[in-house]
Amino acid sequence: MDALGYVWLGILAVFQGPEAFALLGVGVSVTLVMVCAGFLLGIVAGATPGLGGPIAMAISLPILISAFGFTPDALLPVMGFLIGIMKGATIGGAVPAILFNTPGTPDSYMTTLDGYPMAMKGQARRALRIAHLSSASGDTFSDIVLILCAPFLALMVEAYLDLPEKTALLILSLSFIAAVVGGSPGKGLISAGLGLLAVYVGTGEDFYPRLSMGTQTLNRGFPIAAAVLGVLILGTVFHQMAQGHADRLRPSGDAKTPDQDADRALSWPEVRALMPTILRSSVIGTVIGALPGIGSTLAATIGYTSAKARHDRHSPPDATAFGTGAPRGIAATEAANSSVSGANLIPVLSLGIPGNTAAVFLILAAESIGGFNPGPSVFRFTTDQVNPELVIAFGLFTCMFVANLMNWTVGGVFMRSMGFLARVPRHRLLPVVLVLTLTAIYVQETRMEAVWFTLGFGVLGFGMRLVGMSPLPFVIAFILGAKLEDSARQSFSATGGDPWFLFTSPVAAVFMALSVLVVVLGARRRP
Amino acid sequence: MKDIFKTLLGAAAVALAATTTLAADWTPPGPIKLMIAFRAGGGADTQARLIAEELEKRHGWKIIPEQVTGKGGLNLAAVLKDAPADGTVIGMAVTETFGYNMAAADAGMKPGDFTGITTTAGFQMGVVSLSSKGWTTIGDAVAAAKGGEALRFGAMSPRLADLAYLLGKAQGVTFNIVEVRGGKAVMDGVNAGDLDLGFMAGIQSKGVAAGDLVNLASALSVPLNQTPDAPTFADLGVDFNSDGQFLFAGPAGMSAEAQAAMSAAIAEIISDPDTGAGALIAKAFGGPLIVSGAALQAQLAADFDASGALLAAASE
Repeated sequence: MDALGYVWLGILAVFQGPEAFALLGVGVSVTLVMVCAGFLLGIVAGATPGLGGPIAMAISLPILISAFGFTPDALLPVMGFLIGIMKGATIGGAVPAILFNTPGTPDSYMTTLDGYPMAMKGQARRALRIAHLSSASGDTFSDIVLILCAPFLALMVEAYLDLPEKTALLILSLSFIAAVVGGSPGKGLISAGLGLLAVYVGTGEDFYPRLSMGTQTLNRGFPIAAAVLGVLILGTVFHQMAQGHADRLRPSGDAKTPDQDADRALSWPEVRALMPTILRSSVIGTVIGALPGIGSTLAATIGYTSAKARHDRHSPPDATAFGTGAPRGIAATEAANSSVSGANLIPVLSLGIPGNTAAVFLILAAESIGGFNPGPSVFRFTTDQVNPELVIAFGLFTCMFVANLMNWTVGGVFMRSMGFLARVPRHRLLPVVLVLTLTAIYVQETRMEAVWFTLGFGVLGFGMRLVGMSPLPFVIAFILGAKLEDSARQSFSATGGDPWFLFTSPVAAVFMALSVLVVVLGARRRP
Repeated sequence: MKDIFKTLLGAAAVALAATTTLAADWTPPGPIKLMIAFRAGGGADTQARLIAEELEKRHGWKIIPEQVTGKGGLNLAAVLKDAPADGTVIGMAVTETFGYNMAAADAGMKPGDFTGITTTAGFQMGVVSLSSKGWTTIGDAVAAAKGGEALRFGAMSPRLADLAYLLGKAQGVTFNIVEVRGGKAVMDGVNAGDLDLGFMAGIQSKGVAAGDLVNLASALSVPLNQTPDAPTFADLGVDFNSDGQFLFAGPAGMSAEAQAAMSAAIAEIISDPDTGAGALIAKAFGGPLIVSGAALQAQLAADFDASGALLAAASE
């Protein structure tokens, strides 16, 4: 079986998988249905302020797993659904940003700067079309880069990195995430440290459960879903509830919207004028997305500011300035934040290192279902027998392109009809999210302790937000903790018990030096 | 060892025949929680879930599978020990959990705290390397180690790590023994070149058939089905081996009817190659291996007692 054979098998796995229903005698695979459903749900979640992709993924994941079971057949439908949500949410976020000056997702904040002024000028529909075009272009660009890069990166890692280097690489990723995410490297390191502390409860190689304080409850450690959903989702819910909803009940732009121009497709010269901006932002978003930890919000900010700087330098003085309804402002933001989604799967699939919340949920799905361990071993192009994980990987790529196709075809129309969701009041929404999350946890773990753990982690996530500490390093450290410990132990034994295994090979030593350097540089950047 | 095994099998067959009539009347008083000590998605987990599905189909029992992993099955054992003994809570683990692991952990649990329901299958445990290394038997690996090469030996449990150590000791070499999680991780490590050789419990069969992997030795008391010429651990001067089976167990004090009904039902399923579970066991685990009732209980107790000797030998 050669590489093209695997690509073909991956495509077949999506289109010829178990049938959901038959249309005119042709079977429609359940994976296909799930990708489309996830994509539409993602748009809805993105367009609802206070909801967003991560919450939608968190709630649907346990429900999907209990519906599809723990067989390898469940991987593509479940992960396809999550990929759909991930992609839908990025374009959905632009809707309330443009119509009501309320970003639906944090990364669409920059879209409000030019989108809402355009809406005030009666060009809301045009603004939405620009957002959709940029988002879909950025997304597609990023996916192509993913498919071209991930297998080669994985093969290189497998060919050149030995166990100690892999350990050093994990340390570098954690250190990088801690240094660049959130307010300060110090807080980032504390967040990551807490994550490691939590994941090390009850685990380890020894038969005696560590850190369990002799209780049966902690013996098995904290379930990964409880930690991730607690800190990320319940933390947000508690924080938003505490912020007092009164000031956020109404979208800030609910003053009368002026009469709107008729809806018409973007003309070719308009598209051509936007394309350079979209392409530049796509490259920015893709590069940033490929680095673990820096999410779509920073990509959007950098995309927007660099487009603004360029505009200020090169545009004639009579052109619409950024911040007053410039179409390029929307294009720069939306292309950048959407092109993160594909690229952030590069470290996930090739190294098993999640870079942002969406990737965290994909890893969570893979871990819960089993049979697919994201990491370099996925991309082993075995020729004599089929490597099922590689087929799944190409199946996931196919799912991404199916979602892109949805995006280009029905995405725009569906998105433009979602404006009403900005009026969903948060004080009704948040309790629903809370109950759904706890129910979802119980469905997956089937023991009451898991619910208590989730609530506890929710309080922790709330506290972290109060002191301005990002919960993302916590979650990523929790996910990587076991892998870090295993690989460190293995490197130690494999080198015959050399305590300096992290420093004896040049590559590992460079990784370790970089781990220190990113933290130092991060601390100096913010005095 | 072989003889003991045959005796046990014989005893099991008699016990099975004697209790089948009783068993027909038993029905569980409610849904059965089936705890699984293995990671979701692996061969062992699939085996448990396929058996559960078939039990539901054939007997109308409601079975709820749940992962309780970690600590070589001891996490499962700890929960199972205090569960109601009416047949509504059972677990699937390996005999090693109730033997070596329980003895090594010394956490106050012993086989007598449990009711062995039935074993399902054994392992085709071999010491495996890539054939591209050029080794055809364990002697070649030992020669390489004696030539100064530091060899990394992958093992997926502490008991196997002890066995790898004793194998090195018997052959006069020191392996760098690397403990990883599960047989698949050993195979990935060997394929990626992170490990030079390692234990694989049946997962190697496709690779060996294709000529990519080679069984250097059998870690069992008997030769491997696939490579009967590979020496056993006894041939290599090691007094211990990795013999063991998958098994279903419940808490101590389960009624004989419940135990017999369950073991009969499971045995019937795994012996039928037309069921998913039966096909999997035939393909990946060398066919069904059924020990139940008093014979199984005696085997678990014997394994537990014998573990002390292995622990002592490996800590010398």
